[in-house]
Amino acid sequence: MSFPTIEFAAFFTVVLFLNWLLMPRPKAWRVFILAASYVFYGWLDWRWVGLLVLSTVVNTFAAQVIGRSPSEATRKRALIAAIVFNLGLLGTFKYLGFFVSSVDDALGSVGLASSLPIAQVVLPIGISFFTFQSISYVVDVYRRDARPVSLGDFAVLQAFFPHLVAGPIVRVNEFVPQLRAPRDPRKVLAGPGLFLIAGGLIKKTVVADELARRIVDPVFGDPSAHSGVEVLIGIYAFAAQIYCDFSGYTDMAIGLALLLGFKLPQNFDRPYLATSLRVFWHRWHMTLSRWLRDYLYIPLGGNRGGAQRTYRNLMLTMMLGGLWHGAAWTFLIWGGIHGGALSAERWLSGRFDTSRVPTWLAWLVTFHVVCLAWVFFRAPDLGTAFEVLGRVGASGPTELVTPVIVALAAGAVAMQAVPSDFWRRAEAWFVARPMAMQGVALGLLMVVVDAAVGQQGVAPFIYFRF
Amino acid sequence: MDHPPRDITISEDPSRDGHLPPDDEPIGGTLDAGGPERPGIGEPDDPRLTMPAGRVLGVVTIALLIAALLNSEAMVRAGEGMKPSTTRDVVLAVADPLDAATGAIGLHLPREEFDRLFGQEDKTAPGTELEAGSAAILRQRAREDEKPTWRQPTPARPLDVLVTGDSEADLVGLRMNDLDSDQLIDIETVARNGTALTNPDFFNWELNARQEIDARDPEAVVMLIGANDGFNVTVAGEVHAPGTLGWETEFARRVAVVMRTFAGDDDRPVYWVPPPTARDDSLDDIYRSQNRAVERAVESVEGARYVDVYTTINDGEYTEQVQINGRKVLGRQSDGIHFNRDGALIPAELILRAMAKDFPAL
Repeated sequence: MSFPTIEFAAFFTVVLFLNWLLMPRPKAWRVFILAASYVFYGWLDWRWVGLLVLSTVVNTFAAQVIGRSPSEATRKRALIAAIVFNLGLLGTFKYLGFFVSSVDDALGSVGLASSLPIAQVVLPIGISFFTFQSISYVVDVYRRDARPVSLGDFAVLQAFFPHLVAGPIVRVNEFVPQLRAPRDPRKVLAGPGLFLIAGGLIKKTVVADELARRIVDPVFGDPSAHSGVEVLIGIYAFAAQIYCDFSGYTDMAIGLALLLGFKLPQNFDRPYLATSLRVFWHRWHMTLSRWLRDYLYIPLGGNRGGAQRTYRNLMLTMMLGGLWHGAAWTFLIWGGIHGGALSAERWLSGRFDTSRVPTWLAWLVTFHVVCLAWVFFRAPDLGTAFEVLGRVGASGPTELVTPVIVALAAGAVAMQAVPSDFWRRAEAWFVARPMAMQGVALGLLMVVVDAAVGQQGVAPFIYFRF
Repeated sequence: MDHPPRDITISEDPSRDGHLPPDDEPIGGTLDAGGPERPGIGEPDDPRLTMPAGRVLGVVTIALLIAALLNSEAMVRAGEGMKPSTTRDVVLAVADPLDAATGAIGLHLPREEFDRLFGQEDKTAPGTELEAGSAAILRQRAREDEKPTWRQPTPARPLDVLVTGDSEADLVGLRMNDLDSDQLIDIETVARNGTALTNPDFFNWELNARQEIDARDPEAVVMLIGANDGFNVTVAGEVHAPGTLGWETEFARRVAVVMRTFAGDDDRPVYWVPPPTARDDSLDDIYRSQNRAVERAVESVEGARYVDVYTTINDGEYTEQVQINGRKVLGRQSDGIHFNRDGALIPAELILRAMAKDFPAL
């Protein structure tokens, strides 16, 4: 089930009502929210629920062993088993096809006919997110940063529908304490909740989908048919599209959770205002970047082993972060560009006084490195990515570059400069209005958004396929 | 709008003032000043931003009610666009009477204004030949003696081709572009996801074909459609289920109607591509029936061509593995219906071969 649909609107209204009705009875509430989340997840394919349940049970068992065993060896074995299980799950569903076809290609290239069957593996939506969540749970318990929680608590954490399919990636210490503390039905954070839902809906349907349809898809579909100006604006437009698509989804996820009484971690914090790659990664997909930091970069040695090892670890971390999105060379290069740029930044800041670089220049360079990496992220293959880059200087017509496109792309970046205090005041103003006015305003917004979307409907969220 | 509980300004970037974050903080590092590592969680709530749960429910209910009242027509369309299922039945059971009631008192007018404002074209219309017409159209015969001649493309003036249909059109249009190394065709791909010929209440292809021809005037049309055609059709009060003989005849009639609209008066050839084999047996039966129907329809429409991607690929047996340029690859998407990016090369190649018969320069 996707958020901007009739089914979800009906589903959420019922869930919202029962959520607060059952909140005083924690056991009943857990059963209810779990059932609702499984319905949400299984709407397209019930088999996926079985996979989610399996992951929940196995990781709960592993965490219990790790948390209770006095033997370090047993704890370590359970941790390794859990990680192998989780990565095995991810590998089977996400990378098996790529692996088999790569082996097949390799054998074919040396003249060996392969009989490996190239199997169609259906990727369950959200598997990358809930697998990483599971790994963080068992590792946190192993590190004694978290205590093992009950099967019910972990099941709710894993399946909680607002964040289930595309994050944010939530840690056990962020969510489970909220399950145990009473949610106060008199104080629901409705101001930010409703604003986030409305804002996310606009970002996705009005900005992201429009940019995709009008310029990004045509440019990346056939770069040779477009001029340098169209290609360049297409690249900027994709930067705006993916930001509005992904952050729009997480805005809605966080907003929906707030209406249900729960806080999820922030996932985006005005990333395109960053003046360095390091700051960009502190603001873009924040829950993934801290996951990579805590469970990959630091275990690899972080920056403790000198400059060379630090650069190696940065590259490895970012390239594996790229592969998390999918088994493709384009994602690997996307990660490589970020890893290389982070390393270069680190090298430069160790040798020069980078504070003397004008802020606008630092911003400009950072933004364009990010855009360069987006070309590889968006292109269906390496050939297309290089073709897109090669067309940047080409002459030709600029029919696709309309004022609407420029306004949408620039607006998506410029909106990030609006001070958060402005939104806070707007939310407070909205909360103080009469209920009927609030409802009518939101209803009208939905009508306008639906009219903007038109017959073609809302495109699937980009991060659903990861 | 992100959800920053605290302000971060650009000047707080630690790399700007020469203070690097301590070790082991690689990807962003911890921003000492104002970086919201776990925003909101554990922070006290601002009472100005809170409302009681009952009131939240009231706001959400009012909002949905307003949206349903003003958007009833769009709700009906959304329901019509769903695949046959209980959800579709429920949505239509609610939306149809609601639409009748709100339409009677003019509540649909604001939405129509918004549609106009956003330049949305109506894609449904009552009384078209697509919905109800005579099967006599199938008895007409395309002239075989005098073949129309169309302008041959050159690199300086490539052929304007519209590739359209349902979601299958997307990747196939893209791959036709990839195969056109001589740049002899200028392809515009317009995929209308979820559409079908047997569901004109959601999307009327006859109307859309007229609009597309008026707007684009292509020199050739490639139409890939059929994957969503799982709906019953009613002919003279009799309901025919997909795949039955009556359904097949009615489907052929509808194909002929849309073909003729696209083809105009010998203005352009139309290459019609019904679905390939499907993994699911019952769907496969429907797709085979569609292929027969299209084969029949092309005989009655001047300039219409049937491009067979059903029996041509693996002799009509469903397969996911295909050989492309000597490589064994997965050719289908996980739904067992659509071609994937690799697999879409096959129909693209077959379409270009069919086009080359009319345009030898290709």
